[in-house]
Amino acid sequence: MEILGPVLVAGITTGALYALATIGLSLVWGALGMLNMAHGALLTIGGYAAFTLATLMGAPWPVAVLAPVVVGALIGAVIYLLVAQPLLARAPRSFETNVIIATFGVAMALENAVLLIFGGQPFGQSIALTGHLQAGGIFIPWQNVLIVAVVLVLMAGTAFFLARTRAGRAIRATAQHREAAQLLGVPVGRVYLQVLALSGGIAGTCGLLVSSITQLSPTLGADPMLKAFIMCVVAGLGNLPGAIGAAFVLALIEAFASYALGARWGFPLLLAIVILVLIWRPDGLFGRAAVRRL
Amino acid sequence: MSRADRGHLVFGLIVLAALAALPFVADSRYVLGQVILALFYAIVASQWNLLFGFAGVFSLGQMALFAFGGYATAMLGFYLDWSMWVAMPVAAVGTVLFSLVIGLACLRLAGAYVALLTLAVAQVMYLLIVTDTDCFVMQGATCRQFTGGAVGFARFGDLGTRAIFKGDYVVANYAIVAALFLLTMGFTWAVIRSPLGLAFQALRDNPGCAVARGINRFSTQLLVFGASAFFTGLAGGLYAAHFQAIGPGVLSLSTLMFIIAIAVVGGIGKLWGPLVGAVILVLADEALREVGGDYRTLGLGLIIAAAMVLMPKGVIGLVESMVARLRPASGRAAEFVKSGT
Repeated sequence: MEILGPVLVAGITTGALYALATIGLSLVWGALGMLNMAHGALLTIGGYAAFTLATLMGAPWPVAVLAPVVVGALIGAVIYLLVAQPLLARAPRSFETNVIIATFGVAMALENAVLLIFGGQPFGQSIALTGHLQAGGIFIPWQNVLIVAVVLVLMAGTAFFLARTRAGRAIRATAQHREAAQLLGVPVGRVYLQVLALSGGIAGTCGLLVSSITQLSPTLGADPMLKAFIMCVVAGLGNLPGAIGAAFVLALIEAFASYALGARWGFPLLLAIVILVLIWRPDGLFGRAAVRRL
Repeated sequence: MSRADRGHLVFGLIVLAALAALPFVADSRYVLGQVILALFYAIVASQWNLLFGFAGVFSLGQMALFAFGGYATAMLGFYLDWSMWVAMPVAAVGTVLFSLVIGLACLRLAGAYVALLTLAVAQVMYLLIVTDTDCFVMQGATCRQFTGGAVGFARFGDLGTRAIFKGDYVVANYAIVAALFLLTMGFTWAVIRSPLGLAFQALRDNPGCAVARGINRFSTQLLVFGASAFFTGLAGGLYAAHFQAIGPGVLSLSTLMFIIAIAVVGGIGKLWGPLVGAVILVLADEALREVGGDYRTLGLGLIIAAAMVLMPKGVIGLVESMVARLRPASGRAAEFVKSGT
């Protein structure tokens, strides 16, 4: 029981972080059919943006917390305008693969820019709660509680935005059928821009949260991004609720596997499970086979 | 022989002549070393191009196959004292088997799913090698992991050129690598022209019609994946034997990026694209090193993104469209009529 508690806490916390990372990825995939390989770099930049304001410039924490959102959203919008839009306009059929390569390049450039500006040495994120909560013999750091709370609030906010607001309805309409939405007067280009900005803002926040329980480094976002991708894939790309569920389940499995078999076997086991699931259901657990007209 | 094939053949002969002339022109060992490196990149990129450009399979696990070939060669030499010349082909066959296992797991899926899963496989391989700390054998007082750990392998044998050619062994190694490159290009050309090649190009261009014509997507793509693995693995083995070292660094994302950048800049789906891309990027890499090595990765990332957005068919595609515009319209019409019959 003494062991079970911390493993459970770690699993749920990382699950919440993966879930937040998958939201941004799923939104963009659902709306544009675009895998944003620069998502991990947005996480990294979010973490560093908060660090720059809070630690280097001494800004109060409410300002520093907003910085990752703004910077992430801006970079997301720039990626759409400079990379995704031209690629989509030129060759819609090969967009799916072309955009992976192009954003891969963007990710490399952004990550390297962070390395050049801040150097490779790790920093501690100062925006973090200290202390523990003790419940039934289990110590839960307040920071972990905060992370789960923030993630839940952001998920609820995103769900509300998508379900109830006009902009959210436009996003869902575009995701369902681009041409039909366009014919009904949805400004598809603006919707895409909004989706990438929203996803960038969420990614920035996610980066701040990840850095608060680990350390800031230029490769901060790479590991969460790859795992978030895997979780999106196992749930079926573009399926938001499925991806969030998969994030929590797989993070718990990873935490227990790391504990039982050693840290190095967590990810391999995760991947093995994912591949087995995909052999069984090639479109993901909750994904529906896409029917395409020829 | 079609017009395109004649073009490939002429270009191939020019490349052959250039490769043969190079050792007499290049005066420094450094230049020759960089050319060898460029040829290794071109080999791997050409097989990635075969897979993605011609068959439409988006694999990000190419460096995992390269590393498998390199590691298998190094380990056969290190643990079993095999000659490199025996170890390399055995390792290449092993790489094909390894690729078939990966393909069986990943190729049931399509598009972005394949990219993510193959990337994850490569990443897992990297993590398992780097975090390997269990002693497998003791080498003097130092402990050696089965996979070589974060350090990798060194001193497992060489190509034997040093003993024969003494100081000029780099030229001999260059000849071997150049020969492998030409062999790879010949193989790629043959595969593309074969019935299998027609099948996977049809699958790339119109999956629906191809499947309706009775082409099995899974088995066709698995075959290309396995075919591309042979020379990738062989190149990995030769890389290990030439540098007499192999480490987990070949599995890093930046190496994979460099390979993809070469294919993109040269021209995806163009037979000679990888060679053109390799020459351009190795030169650009040298230039960036002059400016300051720190900006190397930054520049590379921007080059990939910009090339993808601005010239999606690469340098070769750009040149082709310029040539097509220069040719008189009547010639074009005649060509059209000829190809229509």
